[in-house]
Amino acid sequence: MTARSAAGEAARREGVGARSLARQLAGIVGPRNVVVDPAELLVYECDGLTHGRVCPELVVLPGSTEEVAAVVRVARDANVPLVPRGAGTGLSGGARPVPGCAVVSLSRMRRILALDLENGWARVEPGVINLDVTRAVAGDGFYYAPDPSSQSVCSIGGNVAENSGGAHCLKYGFTTNHVLAARVVLSDGAVVDLGGPAPDAPGYDLLAALVGSEGMLGVVTEVTVRLLRKPETTRTFFATFPSTDEAGAAVSGIIAAGILPAAIEMMDRLAIVAAKAATGLDWPDVGAALLMDADGPRAEVEHVSARAIEIARAAGALEVRVPRDEAERQLMWKGRKSAFAAVGRISPSYLVEDGVIPRSEIARVLRDIARLADEAGLRVANVFHAGDGNLHPLVLYDARVPGEEERAARLGGEILRLCIRYGGSITGEHGVGAEKAAYMAEQFGPDDLDTMQRVRCAFDGAALMNPGKVFPTPRLCGEKPGPYRPHPAEVAGLAERW
Amino acid sequence: MSGVRAPVDGDAVLGLSPRVALEPASLDEAADAMRALARDRAAVTFVGGGTDLELGAPPARLDAVLHTRRLDRVREHAPADQIVAVEAGMTVAALQRHLAPHGQRLALDPPHPERATVGGVVAANAFGPRRTRFGTVRDLVIGVTIVRADGVVARGGGKVVKNVAGFDLPRLLCGSLGSLGLLAEVVFRLHPLPEASATVAVPGLAPAEVRALARAALDARLDPVAMAALQEGDRFRLAIRFEGFGPGVHEQAERLLALDARGERIEGADEAALWARHDALRLAGDVRAKAAFPPAALEGAVRALEPVVATLAAGALVLHPALGIAFVAGTLSRAEATGRAIAAARPALRPGNGSLVLAAAPAALRAVADPWGDPPPAVEVMRRLKRELDPDGRLAPGRLAGGI
Repeated sequence: MTARSAAGEAARREGVGARSLARQLAGIVGPRNVVVDPAELLVYECDGLTHGRVCPELVVLPGSTEEVAAVVRVARDANVPLVPRGAGTGLSGGARPVPGCAVVSLSRMRRILALDLENGWARVEPGVINLDVTRAVAGDGFYYAPDPSSQSVCSIGGNVAENSGGAHCLKYGFTTNHVLAARVVLSDGAVVDLGGPAPDAPGYDLLAALVGSEGMLGVVTEVTVRLLRKPETTRTFFATFPSTDEAGAAVSGIIAAGILPAAIEMMDRLAIVAAKAATGLDWPDVGAALLMDADGPRAEVEHVSARAIEIARAAGALEVRVPRDEAERQLMWKGRKSAFAAVGRISPSYLVEDGVIPRSEIARVLRDIARLADEAGLRVANVFHAGDGNLHPLVLYDARVPGEEERAARLGGEILRLCIRYGGSITGEHGVGAEKAAYMAEQFGPDDLDTMQRVRCAFDGAALMNPGKVFPTPRLCGEKPGPYRPHPAEVAGLAERW
Repeated sequence: MSGVRAPVDGDAVLGLSPRVALEPASLDEAADAMRALARDRAAVTFVGGGTDLELGAPPARLDAVLHTRRLDRVREHAPADQIVAVEAGMTVAALQRHLAPHGQRLALDPPHPERATVGGVVAANAFGPRRTRFGTVRDLVIGVTIVRADGVVARGGGKVVKNVAGFDLPRLLCGSLGSLGLLAEVVFRLHPLPEASATVAVPGLAPAEVRALARAALDARLDPVAMAALQEGDRFRLAIRFEGFGPGVHEQAERLLALDARGERIEGADEAALWARHDALRLAGDVRAKAAFPPAALEGAVRALEPVVATLAAGALVLHPALGIAFVAGTLSRAEATGRAIAAARPALRPGNGSLVLAAAPAALRAVADPWGDPPPAVEVMRRLKRELDPDGRLAPGRLAGGI
């Protein structure tokens, strides 16, 4: 029996029915903030990854750290697993419920608690929308750097859980590079503060473990994020190429020239077609396109941008467009950022994959993906963060055609395996979640996973928090693979030496 | 098993002598050594270049010292992907020499690069002035291979910069002082070597002026790679460094000079000498401490630290205004007085989770001052983490904050 169903079973065995649990939780958060109605629960059956739905026992919406702590204690006593949830935009099923669980939605906790521009930070509740942090400080010339494509709807708490990236993390890093502190409720109900506005807090860097832990270490109730000054100058260009080979060569050339773009994004033919259909942009019908941002002090940016355009032309660019103004620049970025949804215009259904490969292998991997797609009889559109080799293959299919969804899922899996074979990763920013847990055993060995599990056990010995995610095989804490037993010859050999 | 020898004087760690020293030359040998130590229930401290061995508390027990110095090879360098996988015992300088012909560097400039090893830098979270632009080793490490206390070899992260698969072991190990496992290999992201560099130095500043000028530079949207203020008498010389392409470096230096007429532009050998002076000042004497605070609290931090400096012979401060870091360095003359001054400074630094940590101290000072200060707020979770990965408490026991 797996750990998650063990917890759910135990809940049922002990007779802690949903009604009694709901009553207790309503006593903490108020009856309006506990959802038990089956119709209302439908919303919580999945996150941004819409297949593999599971209905939770109930949903609780706490309004403060204290309420979260009280909710966690009740759940712990009842042995009910908890699934924390932000805005529900995740693409790996990280907020997918497990049978018998309570979903803890942080959507009521959406206050910006404090802004300190002198020290460059904002303290926010986890339900605050990513872009709202930037909106709150933009007037003062500051911004919050991590910018996932969903930034207008995704929450900071979800970003912390998934260690979200975005187009600009090549230069600016991921969520983990921008979180200074967090308040966390652990599965025993303890509230702990990790980090702080001051750097270098003594002790282990537990924040490093927390960010990207996909809700498995605790429920985050406050986050202090770094605010950056908006760069003085941003220069953008859009370049088209006959194929992804030339576009890939341009990316390699730009990086080799010692340029660190703020972002450099690639789209293939199918993705360009989709973006055009969705936005009405007058992009030409070409094999590939690059969109690059350079930002920083004026003279540096002008120099870098001009040099990058030269390199793109030398690599075989058909056309280079420089936006006339900020509005045109935003439109170009809208084309890129809406590419996922845009694919819906050219295909009834699609899967979004998220894999990482060494940047220098882009052209080869894209050819391999095309071959796999041909074999599967499906189309794949590619939109990706070329600077850091983070691919987002969009597998197009028609769910109404029997067997096509399964074929698409298999193709998605083959693409992930391809990423592992090239020395990359099964996820660059969407997280492992429920969806890719099985592939973890292909990227990591049992000892690697065991070590990560031990980290989980240090935070959540009860395995109450978001069970069934990340790890291919659940493990109970305290269940160690056994003490070390040395080889007899080794003992003999060493005994002589020591 | 190869690489086992009797200890010598140089193997002592903060006054404790081991009964055996190990020098594995490969990952397999390191794993063998760790299994042997596990079998013997031996307490072990890992030593790289020994440049940060005085950071924190002495180990509570020490049976063995494991040197990483023979683990000194580049395992993989992919210039086009800007990553390098390197064994933990390679020195920072040797790594930079390997990378430079490819126009690349590890954007980290800790003190003593000729001795400091990459594994030691990760374990001690060592950094230099370029932290202002590139962050700490936590921002540059993308993968690790460790040998656990039980001798099991485990990997975390990977060889690509962007990777969120699994818990972030590489970053969790930063600053862990070898108490969670032996760092055997590290993978870093690399940065291009800059085409040009220039530093603008402004002398004669009071702490408030240091903070104001640093802030003005950032408000002007300049993008310095380093900002450090060196104490000269009761004033500070603020050095602000720019690196990048020629036109960008030139323009930024000129704009900074326009912000403060007292500034002087320094390049070439003079620039190198100024930054070498930074390292020398930060490392002077036998007492070294690092204060951390929110950057806007700079003047308050200086006020809190001045009494500590005053108790030392030839004491001085080095300020990193953009980071919220100040280094205290000097020679111990009155241990009791320095201990009292440290105890008095800590509460003043505490707001915003600030701290004052001893990076080096003679035994006389250790007798009267805790190297870490109060246990961290999440110390219980830290203890549990330690127990999970080192259940017998054999890896550098007691070195970390909170007696971990």
